[in-house]
Amino acid sequence: MSCAQAAVREPAADPLLTLRARPRRIALVGNANVGKSVLFGRLTGQYAVVSNYPGTTVALTTGRVVLGGEVCELVDTPGVTALEGALTEDELVARRILNAGQTDVVIQVSDARNLRRALMLTSQLAAIGRPMVLVLNMIDEARVHGIVIDAAGLAARLGIPVVETVATEGRGIAGLRDAIGRAAVPAFDAPHRGDHAHLAHDLAVQYRCYRRRSAARIQERLGRLVREPLTGLPILAIVLYGMYLAVGVFGAQTLVGLIEGGLFEQFINPGAIALVNRAVPWAVARDFLVGEYGLITMGLTYAIAIVLPVVATFFLVFGFLEDSGYIPRLAIFSDRIFRTMGLNGKAVLPMVLGLGCDTMATMTTRILGTPKERLIAVLLLALGIPCSAQLATILGILGGVSFFALVTLFGVVMLQMFLVGFLAARTIPGERSEFIMELPPLRLPQLGNIVRKTLLRVRWYLGEAVPLFLFGTALLFTLSRLGLLTVLTEAMEPVVAGLLGLPKDAATVFVMGFLRRDYGAAGLFQMSKAGELDGVQAVVALTVMTLFVPCVANFLMMVKEQGLKAAMGILGAVTVIALGTGVVLNAILRGLHVTF
Amino acid sequence: MSPSEKTRRLSAMRPGASGRVLRVMRENPDRADRLMALGVTPGATVTVLQRFPGVVFLCDHTELAVEPAVARAIVVELE
Ligand SMILES: Nc1nc2c(ncn2[C@@H]2O[C@H](COP(=O)(O)OP(=O)(O)O)[C@@H](O)[C@H]2O)c(=O)[nH]1
Repeated sequence: MSCAQAAVREPAADPLLTLRARPRRIALVGNANVGKSVLFGRLTGQYAVVSNYPGTTVALTTGRVVLGGEVCELVDTPGVTALEGALTEDELVARRILNAGQTDVVIQVSDARNLRRALMLTSQLAAIGRPMVLVLNMIDEARVHGIVIDAAGLAARLGIPVVETVATEGRGIAGLRDAIGRAAVPAFDAPHRGDHAHLAHDLAVQYRCYRRRSAARIQERLGRLVREPLTGLPILAIVLYGMYLAVGVFGAQTLVGLIEGGLFEQFINPGAIALVNRAVPWAVARDFLVGEYGLITMGLTYAIAIVLPVVATFFLVFGFLEDSGYIPRLAIFSDRIFRTMGLNGKAVLPMVLGLGCDTMATMTTRILGTPKERLIAVLLLALGIPCSAQLATILGILGGVSFFALVTLFGVVMLQMFLVGFLAARTIPGERSEFIMELPPLRLPQLGNIVRKTLLRVRWYLGEAVPLFLFGTALLFTLSRLGLLTVLTEAMEPVVAGLLGLPKDAATVFVMGFLRRDYGAAGLFQMSKAGELDGVQAVVALTVMTLFVPCVANFLMMVKEQGLKAAMGILGAVTVIALGTGVVLNAILRGLHVTF
Repeated sequence: MSPSEKTRRLSAMRPGASGRVLRVMRENPDRADRLMALGVTPGATVTVLQRFPGVVFLCDHTELAVEPAVARAIVVELE
């Protein structure tokens, strides 16, 4: 092996002297989860959402970086495993950027532990023929595994700069900035089509050597505990319970109690009412702001006091699990079940994310392999996965009724999801893809990273949710002013009161739920607090609500991902299934005289 | 041992067993490409970590989880 005899030869520099009409464009390319986002942050001083699985950097992140007095544009591309052959959507996006002709320099980011894979991509990038730099990131982890790479030798052989970095600690970044100026078109003979593997293998064997490995033992043992059913399933149960404690108890009860009961009911709302009453002379405007359907007393209160604490705690917990590398391991357990529903284990990622926000989850369905899988996943998210705000309401209301009530609801919802998935797998044309998934190493997440990520997601949620809450409230106010709310409520009464056996006020809640699912859920919460629902009614109403039409934001995301026709189809199907299930459930529960 | 006794499908290997990839069956080219991109190529070292509920194995330093059909397509020479 040539690790010792490192021939240091500077690769031929490629001076870029031309005056530029547009800024030089630099693209970060690499496998998923190699540290591109962290590196992006290091280079630009900005922050791109760091995630442990693909599909989260979906919208392209661009930023500015100053190199040698020149302002350049840096683009973070989605993670890829290959750039030739059958490509995923993320890979097509990445390749389009590389081929677009506006990319001047390519920085390939790689995980130093996986040199062979990295070089396979390098070989494919070489075929594109742009000046490039190879970054061997995660050198710290490679050391732990006893891996040493002869970077200088590799650089000489490839004809491009090769830089070692630890992105999380900022090590090697200066060297990287320096190397970008020396980026060069790879000078090795590109292998014949498809034979990248061979070349990569030879190079890896030549320039990598193994030392005695130090302490990767704990990581290994933990990985084993998490993935083996005997220990993994109890761990999963503990994780879910921990999530429930954090989101359902701390977020939905403690925080909501403090913010809604304390801050809003005691100070903000009375203050706003007093202020508006004094300052606004028109009764209609006063009502619009602080009345029964007031922007402040209803819209803002729901958005900030009830929904926000729950969503924020969920994102915090999710960020922790995501960065620890735990979530992809759930795919091992769920693969079999998802396969009967026309999906594969990978689908667990959007499903878990859906427990936080279905809209965001719908967006991440594009990590799935085929159009059929994406359609089924979007459908199941819309139908059965309750978002964190809904979960909080369900737990808040039914937790006070009985454990059996909770079991009934989740049982019915899961059964419906399974049935619908089973049928969809057999009726929707197309294929599912096979389950092949990379498991990122388990790590102790960095607190700073989780907090930043949570703040970013909360901001995304607020920007998207608060306007909709206010819009929904304004619509409700208008409907009620025009007397249309009564008309609508009366029109729905036969279904709501007759078939579903609910109080007719629940119709209003369903109308709200149409505008925003969690908003409707919060409405139910108020009804139950006021003692307007008995046990069976609570179960039926919440089941229908959980299965019901997704919120407007989710619907718009469905249109964006699947097109208007498919989205309308899903909307129709889900509505029919939700109402049908509610009617049958009510009939059964009443027939059996269940009281909960 | 004859050579055939030393070659196995990954799906038939016991947890803890390791070897080198001989070839990846190409009856499904997409699958073979995906595996190759993840580093499952002739010469790579593989160690089976577990078989149930899904096959999990280590390929060099990448941990991969696959369904049984995929594991059947990987031919390994045992060590
Ligand atoms: N130990 C170590 N971890 C890193 C390094 N660079 C990134 N990470 C971690 O690797 C994970 C994936 O990084 P990310 O930037 O999201 O990868 P991307 O998918 O390529 O954008 C994150 O949890 C990072 O904190 C590194 O140099 N050393």
